[in-house]
Amino acid sequence: MKKSLNCLVIAGVLAAGSAWAGEIRIGATMRMISENGQKYGEMMQDEFAAINESGGINGHTVKLILLNDECKSDKGVANANKFAYQDNVHLIIGSTCSSVSLPIVDVTAQAEVPQIIPHSTNDQITRKNSAWVFRVPISSRYYKGVVSKYLHDKVGDQIAYVYASDAAAMSETQGLIQQMRDVYGVEPVYEAQTQEKEIDFRSHLVTIKDLNPDAIFFGGLQEPIARFLVQSYEVGIPASVVRAAGSAASNAPVPKLAGDAVKGVFFSAAYSDSDDRPIAQLFNSYVRSRYGIKGVDHDFSQAYDLIRIVEIALGNADLSLEDDDLAADRTAIRDAIANVQGYEGLASGPISFCADPTPECRDGNRTPVLIQYLEGGEDFKVGILDRVTMPVEFGL
Amino acid sequence: MIVDFLVVGFSIGLVYAIVALGISLIYSGLDIVHFAHGEFVMFGAFFGLVLVNDSGLNYPISIFLAMIFAGLMGVFVERVFYRRLTSKGGGYTVAGMGMIICGFGMAIILQNVAFLIWGAEGHAIQVDFGTPLKIGTVNLPKSYLWILCVSVTLMAVLHFFLKHTKAGLAIRAVAANKDIAYLMGINVPLMISLIFGLACGLAAVGGVLIGPINYVQVEMGYLILIKAFAAAVVGGFGSLPGAILGGLMVGIFETLGAAYISGSHKDIYAFLLLIAVLVIKPTGLLGQLAKSKA
Amino acid sequence: MLTLIDGIEAFIGRLKAIHPLLPWLVALLLLLPVPHFTANNYQVYLINFICIMIILATGLNIVKGFAGQVTVGHVALYAIGAYTSAVLSTKFGMPFYVNLPVSILAAMIFGVLVGLPSFRLEGAYLALATLAFAQAVEVYIRVTNYLGAASGIGGIKPPEFFGFTLRNYDEYYYLVMPIMLLAVYASFAILRSATGRAFMAVREDPISAASMGVNVRRYKLIAFVMSAFYAGLAGSLYAHMLPGYVHPNNFTVIEMVTVLLMVVLGGIGNIWGGIIGAIIVTIVADITREYYFYQLLLFGAVIVGTVLFMPKGIGGIIDRYFVNRRFVAARELTAVAKRGVVGSASREE
Repeated sequence: MKKSLNCLVIAGVLAAGSAWAGEIRIGATMRMISENGQKYGEMMQDEFAAINESGGINGHTVKLILLNDECKSDKGVANANKFAYQDNVHLIIGSTCSSVSLPIVDVTAQAEVPQIIPHSTNDQITRKNSAWVFRVPISSRYYKGVVSKYLHDKVGDQIAYVYASDAAAMSETQGLIQQMRDVYGVEPVYEAQTQEKEIDFRSHLVTIKDLNPDAIFFGGLQEPIARFLVQSYEVGIPASVVRAAGSAASNAPVPKLAGDAVKGVFFSAAYSDSDDRPIAQLFNSYVRSRYGIKGVDHDFSQAYDLIRIVEIALGNADLSLEDDDLAADRTAIRDAIANVQGYEGLASGPISFCADPTPECRDGNRTPVLIQYLEGGEDFKVGILDRVTMPVEFGL
Repeated sequence: MIVDFLVVGFSIGLVYAIVALGISLIYSGLDIVHFAHGEFVMFGAFFGLVLVNDSGLNYPISIFLAMIFAGLMGVFVERVFYRRLTSKGGGYTVAGMGMIICGFGMAIILQNVAFLIWGAEGHAIQVDFGTPLKIGTVNLPKSYLWILCVSVTLMAVLHFFLKHTKAGLAIRAVAANKDIAYLMGINVPLMISLIFGLACGLAAVGGVLIGPINYVQVEMGYLILIKAFAAAVVGGFGSLPGAILGGLMVGIFETLGAAYISGSHKDIYAFLLLIAVLVIKPTGLLGQLAKSKA
Repeated sequence: MLTLIDGIEAFIGRLKAIHPLLPWLVALLLLLPVPHFTANNYQVYLINFICIMIILATGLNIVKGFAGQVTVGHVALYAIGAYTSAVLSTKFGMPFYVNLPVSILAAMIFGVLVGLPSFRLEGAYLALATLAFAQAVEVYIRVTNYLGAASGIGGIKPPEFFGFTLRNYDEYYYLVMPIMLLAVYASFAILRSATGRAFMAVREDPISAASMGVNVRRYKLIAFVMSAFYAGLAGSLYAHMLPGYVHPNNFTVIEMVTVLLMVVLGGIGNIWGGIIGAIIVTIVADITREYYFYQLLLFGAVIVGTVLFMPKGIGGIIDRYFVNRRFVAARELTAVAKRGVVGSASREE
């Protein structure tokens, strides 16, 4: 009896399996073993599940395959290859790490799968001129323009830079240094790299304290930023020295960990918690209640925007979803994403793509916001200093 | 300026020294290098985190309890997993290599267990130390004083325990020669567990001490571990005063190197020091002659 | 399963009887059409990756399993091989057939540097020295802008021979598979020669080995340089494989533990150890790709479990099966011989 029941179940699964042929397959590769990626992943799964419940896209259900790349390029490349050739996905989302997104761009270009990037800022990604890649977040070339201008106009030119050795922080900080040099003719007073998970920045900070700069810039992931800020007060750098940080400073753990040390720190990001648009307020309360997060950062907004853009593009694309038409479907999705113009979501500015495989067309968002922390701790407060839309060709 | 650097190097060096003490203790007692020791630093820090932030206990009591918990965890790991290898005698035999590999495996297991429990997010142990002391131009945060007081107390207690108690004498006997210790009526397996528990407890203290400054995170153990290895080797592997001296030397050396040579290469200095000491004087500064095969 | 192993052994034995190189030729012929039997490109990619891992793990097994030197710096040599190729290809525009030998040479030079401390250091000390070396190499790459620092080096050109470029994984397979086979053949040849026996003598007891006339220092150094040769080879092949990108994140302690797992699981000191381990670990890593929260936990548990309960690994179990069978066969043989003797004796009476 039991055996025949099992057979029935298996037959049912097989029947369901063949019925799934008409679904849209999306593969996502991200750094999952980190707070950042985990929440990203949860949110994407929830959002796509919601789309499926409400009838899918043009009647097609979406199947999301989520894999971890640990921010290692070989794992990310393996995941992308698996998506492209084994799972036959229609679209690849990934990666959260610039150093993984960079090689995947070559894989997707060769396999001809559209790739949409949720959270990598390194400007080289779109400079590879792949026709298959789209970037939702802001490229580091726009960030550096805004931050350098603000530093030069409002703060001063004597700036010390410390940055962690991960691809995003590196391109952000080195770009900023280069920008200060090229546009304002200023050399950094101090420049040093640290390990990604460095715990002790005080040897750098003591040197910086002695140099007495106008500002300190720190590029890195969220925990190191918090450590850096706390330790900068510990070695006795006065509050009059302005502290600036990379876009990762928008992540919620920073004010929670750093406490009062975060006060006055400014950074540029793609979304602000204190955005007063109704859609942003709605989104904030939604994320707070659903994921138990107090400070909603641009990780969430970018994940959300990416899903909406994907939804719009998939809705506009004419898909047959037969196995034989995989290549045609992939091309159709690519063209549909390239046709997304002036998407107004949570992001600081409208997101637009176009058909040319150039950075001008593929860096979707070009409106960084300058944000400053007004208060730290669990219930931190931020204020918006400025919002600038950069010209498309800026920094190329 | 140089005083600032020395203060910074001294404070981080003390933490390396405490962890190195545990590593040296295990090495002198059991002839093995414990590659999962960094994970006990991490677990200790998480115990401290739970005790201070969630249970609301005060800091010194939390340090003590975290030490006990991590010590018990160390005993458990040693009894259940390592005993099969240590009972064969470690050192330079195949069991010694097995122990090194096993340590790596254990480090990965512990790290991922911690990840499944606490997640990848960093947390700060919330302790309010108050404003830093100002002595002349030098800034001295009170957290450094905590590190100094706790580590000096610990070292003094450990010294007293090893040199002036019966159990300490037994541990030293086991460290010197297990077979003869057996014949002298010492409960060698118990002593081995005790050594392991003590060492893991010391690691936990290191973790709780840096918790408020450097945050508690699943991946924090490895970096501290290899610096502590460097400290233990520089001072002389297996020598307890050597571990303290080595810890301070590594802390100060890397801080000065970052200040006066190149900041970006800060993490390399400790390893270069380690390699240099190993090649020039493998016994370290205070170590006795390395135990060699008959 | 057992009959399969028996069958394969008998088949190899018969081939060997004809000519010692024949089993290798048959293996080459069997492996040649593999890409045409795979379901998709991703599987070819995996097979290529397995080949590279086999080379890497075989190298580690030589120095660790056979010569008994506890090194934790193998991945650093792999990194040096990969980065030498990356720099030569992207900064100097050198072709693959120049990069490969230069990368191997660079890795071997560093292999000497790692091997020299082994004259004075043993066991734990050597492990720490090599760990420090590996860490220093990784940190140095990470902060050196010339080596791409944290952005990595991209755009390493695929190998090109006489105007023919290996543009996809299928074509790359025909480069990496024969090299892997050659490397494995070389390791078999060397480890079964006097050199291999000298390695084992050094591993078992350096002092007795020295008293038997084995130059311990020389063989330690040879072992290190040989393993560096394999690491450099693997590194160069990895760097040139699509998409031609190297990054310091790929050469961390996690990778070291993975290679260690391959060697330990396959059988440390077993001639097949690295090969069995590389194949199993890479395939298991692929199957468990979706269970990323538990994957590393599983790897750690397998390392500990293998060391505790199966110190000779899978290769050791297979070996023991053969030894047992030979023992049984030998006993039967002697029994038959005895009966024969008894029979003839009784006839004489």
